[in-house]
Amino acid sequence: MKTLLDVHDVKKAYRMGKVLVPALRGVSFDAEEGEFLTIFGPSGSGKSTLLHLVGGLDRPDEGEILIDGSNILKLSDDKLAELRLTKIGFVFQFFNLLPRLTALKNVVLPLTIAGVPEKEALEQAKEILRLVGLEARTNHRPSELSGGEQQRVAMARALVNSPKIVLADEPTGNLDTKTGWEIVQLMRKLNEDKRQTFVVVTHDPHIAEAADRIIYLKDGLIEGIKEAPRRNKQ
Amino acid sequence: MRLSRILTMAWESLTQRKLRTSLTILGVVIGITAIIGLASLGEGFRLDIRKRMQSGFELDNLTIIPGSLFAGLSRERFTDEDIQNISKILGVKIVTGIMQIGNVTLYNGSKTVQAFVATGVNFTEFIQVFPDRFVFENGTIPEEDRNDTIVIGYKVNHPTENETAPFAGANDTITLTLQVLLKTPFPHYEQTDYNFTVAGTLRKTGTPGITNFDYWIFIPLETTREIYDTQESDLIFVRVYNSEDSERIAKDIEALFPPFRITILVPLMLIKQVDNILNIVQLFLMAIASISLLVAGIGIMNIMMVSVMERTREIGILKAVGAKSRTVLGMFLAEAMLIGIIGGLIGVLTGYGLSYALALMLSSFIHPQQQGTTFQTPEAPQRLNITPVFSPEWTVIALVFAVIICVIFGLYPARKASRLNPVEALRYE
Repeated sequence: MKTLLDVHDVKKAYRMGKVLVPALRGVSFDAEEGEFLTIFGPSGSGKSTLLHLVGGLDRPDEGEILIDGSNILKLSDDKLAELRLTKIGFVFQFFNLLPRLTALKNVVLPLTIAGVPEKEALEQAKEILRLVGLEARTNHRPSELSGGEQQRVAMARALVNSPKIVLADEPTGNLDTKTGWEIVQLMRKLNEDKRQTFVVVTHDPHIAEAADRIIYLKDGLIEGIKEAPRRNKQ
Repeated sequence: MRLSRILTMAWESLTQRKLRTSLTILGVVIGITAIIGLASLGEGFRLDIRKRMQSGFELDNLTIIPGSLFAGLSRERFTDEDIQNISKILGVKIVTGIMQIGNVTLYNGSKTVQAFVATGVNFTEFIQVFPDRFVFENGTIPEEDRNDTIVIGYKVNHPTENETAPFAGANDTITLTLQVLLKTPFPHYEQTDYNFTVAGTLRKTGTPGITNFDYWIFIPLETTREIYDTQESDLIFVRVYNSEDSERIAKDIEALFPPFRITILVPLMLIKQVDNILNIVQLFLMAIASISLLVAGIGIMNIMMVSVMERTREIGILKAVGAKSRTVLGMFLAEAMLIGIIGGLIGVLTGYGLSYALALMLSSFIHPQQQGTTFQTPEAPQRLNITPVFSPEWTVIALVFAVIICVIFGLYPARKASRLNPVEALRYE
């Protein structure tokens, strides 16, 4: 299998006033094409920071991150934005949908930014919304949708550009257990159908166990990596 | 991202905050209304003034005076040779010299009137120089070879407005008492009586230029020359074919004489000066009006700063899904630009509307003063007649100005938005 994501000795610190707080203190791992990976750890362990770095939203202080062969440390801001647009899909804990846009318009957004003609973009977005089971809610605004539905819209938005890698930051953190589990199941299904790589950050062990591999993160360091047997709870 | 989509998104964003957007646009509207209103009204005002001056100043006529108007007129006079030379200049239609005698009293039986001056003219030439003013109320132009004919100006013939009978009519014989300045044997005034036959009386013409024929009487030039015992002229009037050439012709005339010997009154130059002054006044007013647009710009900046803060998270999301910094910049600038375009367009319409309304009001309320002075205009009271001028140039300039102001003031907030760190923006509550 081809290695899609290669993280090598990544360090990142944040400045809080005059103090430099280390968030990541040398993290290395990789992910293969089509792999479903979870990063598990307590809050403050650096999970989200790691995900932001992998997603090209931020740059590491040290180390290398290669996504599909490109070193994000060497990319210009514009190239990095282009990488996010074409190869990366983001799912956030708080959904981060644009409240004034309908579900469909939210999903279309990355295609609009990519300059896909409107008609074609709408077709693609509808198709993805059907895939996440929301074909009946396309014209609702986020405020008219339940948490689970909003997260499905967010997933549809992450997937609409057919990214190589989908990054999810606590995607179930704001949902009840049942809905959360449904979302994870949906992600697994998409992962199997489309062979897209998923990296999911969570502090819920139950969710973590759904992955092919679990990376345990604590205090900015990897404590261990566990190959998990697939569990499919019904 | 396509420009059309950026504009669409900017438009959607503006329409979502209708009240805020309307108030922001209102600022621009007021600024542009003031600029367009002043430009259009000012231009109309200027055209009205120019028209009045053109009709009042006889642009086709130049007046040549010996010496300087302000340092005291010289005692020198013009020779017929001077007149000949001037008439050879390209663009000159006709040249005529006149001689004047001051302090004139006219007697017709028991009636006595005063006149400013008795002017000796060559009637055939004179009527060609002043075809609009040398117009007869009564009688006709005198025969050329007679030396005892007289033409009487309106005010001399009608000293008081309400009097019924004029002083004289055609073919009356009247007596003139002239104070003639004689140079020999020493300069002195000599009072002499002369008899003249009235050839005609003139219509009321008022004071175009510097001469008022209403207060003048006209006798043959040869007669005045005999009285003074000279073959010279006091003043020369030149009529040109095209008033636009008058400046050049004036220079050509000046070149015929030794330096500082003559003064030439060129009415076109006066009008140009007044036009320049009006131009400056108008620009000054518009500069003041522009301040309101500047205030609108600051309003836009303020609103957009708030907007950027409110939409920090949205900006983070856009960046997370792959929007480039310049796309975010473009979206905010597009909003500012749309405000400028909409505000500008509405402002242009209200600006012209306002100027037409003001013009109508000014025209019905303001009547230029009419007074019984020698500088009175001839016709019945003229209303101020301002027609606002629609200027495509000013419309375009105002629109561009509105957009530029909006974009300039939108630039800082837009840059701020585009430079937000996506991670921090996403964390923003």
